[in-house]
Amino acid sequence: MSTAAKKSLSLLQFLLTTWKLNLAGAMEFRMSFSISVGTMILNNFVWVFFWGIYFTKFPLVNGWTLQDVMMVQAIGNGAFGVAAVFFGNFIGIANIVSTGQLDTYLAQPKPVLLNVLVSKMTVSAIGDLLFCLILYGLYGVHTGLGLAKFLLALLIGAAIMVFFNVLAQSLAFFIGNAEGLGFQVFNAFLTVSLYPTNIFHGLGKLILFTALPAGYISFLPIGLLRDWSNSFVWGAVGVALGLALLAFRVFRIGLKRYGSGNMMTMRM
Amino acid sequence: MSSVRVQELTKSFTVKYKQAGLAGSLRSLFAPQTEEKVAVQPLDFTIEQGEVLAFLGPNGAGKSTTIKMLTGILHPTSGSAEVLGFNPWQERQKLAFHVGSVFGQKSQLWYHLPPVDTFELMARIYEIPRGEFLKRRDQLVERFELGPYLNTTVRKLSLGERMRCEIAAALLHRPQIVFLDEPTIGLDVVVKQKIRDLIREMNREEGTTLFLTSHDAGDVEQLCKRVIVINHGQVILDDSVSNMKREFLTHKTIHLKLAELPQPIALPGVTVVKQKGTGMKLSVDTALTSIETVLSFIVTHYKLVDVTIEDPSMEEIITHIYERTGKGGV
Amino acid sequence: MDVSREKTLREPRVSSLALQVAKYTAVGKITVRNNLAYLYDYLIRSLFLLVILYIFAQLWRVTYDGIGTATISGYTFEQLLWYLVFAEAMVLSSPRLARRIEDEVKKGDVAYQLTRPVSYLLFQYAQYMGEAYVLVPVHLLVGGALGTMMFGVPHFGWGWIGFLLISVGAFTVNFLLNMILALTSFWIEETRGLEFVYYKIVFTLGGMLLPLEMFGGTVRQIADWLPFQCVVYFPSKTAVQFDAGEIGHMLGVQAVWAAVLTVCLTLIYRKGVKKLNVNGG
Repeated sequence: MSTAAKKSLSLLQFLLTTWKLNLAGAMEFRMSFSISVGTMILNNFVWVFFWGIYFTKFPLVNGWTLQDVMMVQAIGNGAFGVAAVFFGNFIGIANIVSTGQLDTYLAQPKPVLLNVLVSKMTVSAIGDLLFCLILYGLYGVHTGLGLAKFLLALLIGAAIMVFFNVLAQSLAFFIGNAEGLGFQVFNAFLTVSLYPTNIFHGLGKLILFTALPAGYISFLPIGLLRDWSNSFVWGAVGVALGLALLAFRVFRIGLKRYGSGNMMTMRM
Repeated sequence: MSSVRVQELTKSFTVKYKQAGLAGSLRSLFAPQTEEKVAVQPLDFTIEQGEVLAFLGPNGAGKSTTIKMLTGILHPTSGSAEVLGFNPWQERQKLAFHVGSVFGQKSQLWYHLPPVDTFELMARIYEIPRGEFLKRRDQLVERFELGPYLNTTVRKLSLGERMRCEIAAALLHRPQIVFLDEPTIGLDVVVKQKIRDLIREMNREEGTTLFLTSHDAGDVEQLCKRVIVINHGQVILDDSVSNMKREFLTHKTIHLKLAELPQPIALPGVTVVKQKGTGMKLSVDTALTSIETVLSFIVTHYKLVDVTIEDPSMEEIITHIYERTGKGGV
Repeated sequence: MDVSREKTLREPRVSSLALQVAKYTAVGKITVRNNLAYLYDYLIRSLFLLVILYIFAQLWRVTYDGIGTATISGYTFEQLLWYLVFAEAMVLSSPRLARRIEDEVKKGDVAYQLTRPVSYLLFQYAQYMGEAYVLVPVHLLVGGALGTMMFGVPHFGWGWIGFLLISVGAFTVNFLLNMILALTSFWIEETRGLEFVYYKIVFTLGGMLLPLEMFGGTVRQIADWLPFQCVVYFPSKTAVQFDAGEIGHMLGVQAVWAAVLTVCLTLIYRKGVKKLNVNGG
């Protein structure tokens, strides 16, 4: 086996172990585990209720059917679920940086960003994942191809969710008080990724495909699941990869600032 | 004339067992297993009007349960109590108008507002007529020297300034009895002294009965004439503070950190408990040699880096009491 | 006991209604002033309101265009959006009680508050109202900015007065429901989950996401028989479609629910304090 392959294998083992430990930790308190997962599922069904009422009165929103909207909910919440369960610190980096907790990770012989990301599991987000699966069961296309497309959409969505927010959170390396800002950005990003892309026009739509690229998540049910569009799918994959590269790059530049002691004032 | 009279007062709680695991929590939800826990065993004491009493005991001894019964928060399991002639748990609201309380760790002051605003609120809560309130407020402001802070937001005040305001707020309605729970906790020596002076003055001038709990031996020595020590819900000592001091606060411990190895110390009543390199722990019997004498010896003979003086801990005093009185020990 | 002191102590205290009202008004007032210190934080946090209102504006514009009629379920596009502004403001301005009360129950602060001549529940109520009425103007200002940008300055006339009036009942009912949930912390460990679920019901059956007129027959009927409509639907509807005749009805429904819930809350509180007595703090 080549050294590169060995390295990736050990990294994979590290990831699997961390996830297993996270889950075991969460299951320690089974009662509160069930409650937080359950309430999250219930929370998401509020929107099913909303759209249910909506579609009894208005059968179409700019060409979107009830099924399409349910897939937006499934992919949006599912992408968040994957992100928050497996990479739970994707919205916690700003806090970790500004409170000086990054030192712990820097001392360990694993890729820092990856280590930070996986070291937390948001328990309630398991509810989001389950909700995503329930919606797929109720409204999804139950063929081999349908499932494959659904999983692909979920993967792309999760990647964009994680790496866009890593970028936003990494602002903490460069400006003070980035925690509040990072949270607002995340909130706005998640919210808009749960609505049909086509209700937005003009400037709003432009922002969705540039500055706040949630459009690449919320349009997946149409552009990938329903009427596969090569240009959209490749575009989304490209955005996901681009964000990932950029995120690693920016995080590394940030780390240099962190290490060079420029952060002292903020860590007090 | 008694201010507080307690007879045969007891209190027990029913404590629920928690079982492990999901099945366990479900089981205890439907068929809880309980256990009787005695917090206060038959308690008897009387406090005279104007008396200053220290009510001491280790954590979990039943101190706060007793205070809660005396203020009417808790109903006793059996026995009776009378505070200012009221039955606390049957006439809680009426009693509340005449009781003041200062809980060192629970602030009554509104954090983002100046103390004067909290005073206004207290006037409303205790239904103090306007003229009377203003007169009383100005009196307290003068006596506690609150003038400079009166209009400063509480969050900008130091802990000591805050505590002075806290006590003033508790006195606005001229309570006949004041419960003070750790009134000097977290304060530095100078501020502690100031707070104690104020409390003593208030007791002398207004004849307020004071009921004090504290872990600070200084509070007890300087403020109180009488002390009640409870342990496991039972009174194990009810005596004057001077007696307690003579019998149980006989020793002080001195911790020394020196710059060089020490020569032996030979003073009556002073023993070396521990010595390790330049660190030293001394026990001083203050009846034989005063602490001042020991300190001056140390200063003249040793090269001092650091020194701390400690009173015996509550636990040590209690062990002592059991030894002396022969009451059933732990 | 000394005779003169006995007399002054024993003299029946005339806690007249006026003194009682003054007492709790003072609590409310001081809460307002204390919370004004957080005004800037509140403003920043309420910016998210703009995002959600913007999304709803887009969604409903598309919907109205698609249907091609001027009104849906009796609301014009402009009225519907303003309805949502008021509805969001009501929900976001309601202080969250669960965490605070849970802490007070667990640390035993509930008990310490009893050493003062105030009712714990009325004290909490006065604080709740004080906080709510600091927040409402903030949220109306932020949400209203978006509404004004889209439709110009609104002319609700009597609607403002009606909203103010009905909002008092709305916050009262909301306080009662929340306090009942929060006080269950005498028995259960975690009440924040319950509060979370409660607000989901308010979002739906309370009419925050959609005015109740948009619901179909059965759902509407269920919502009509529940207290949640008092919290959001009543004040928001009154603001955008003021109807003097309706006000009486709404106030009546709120009063009935307030009465029923007050009885429930008092019973639960008494039971909780009793439990404190039996099981300790």
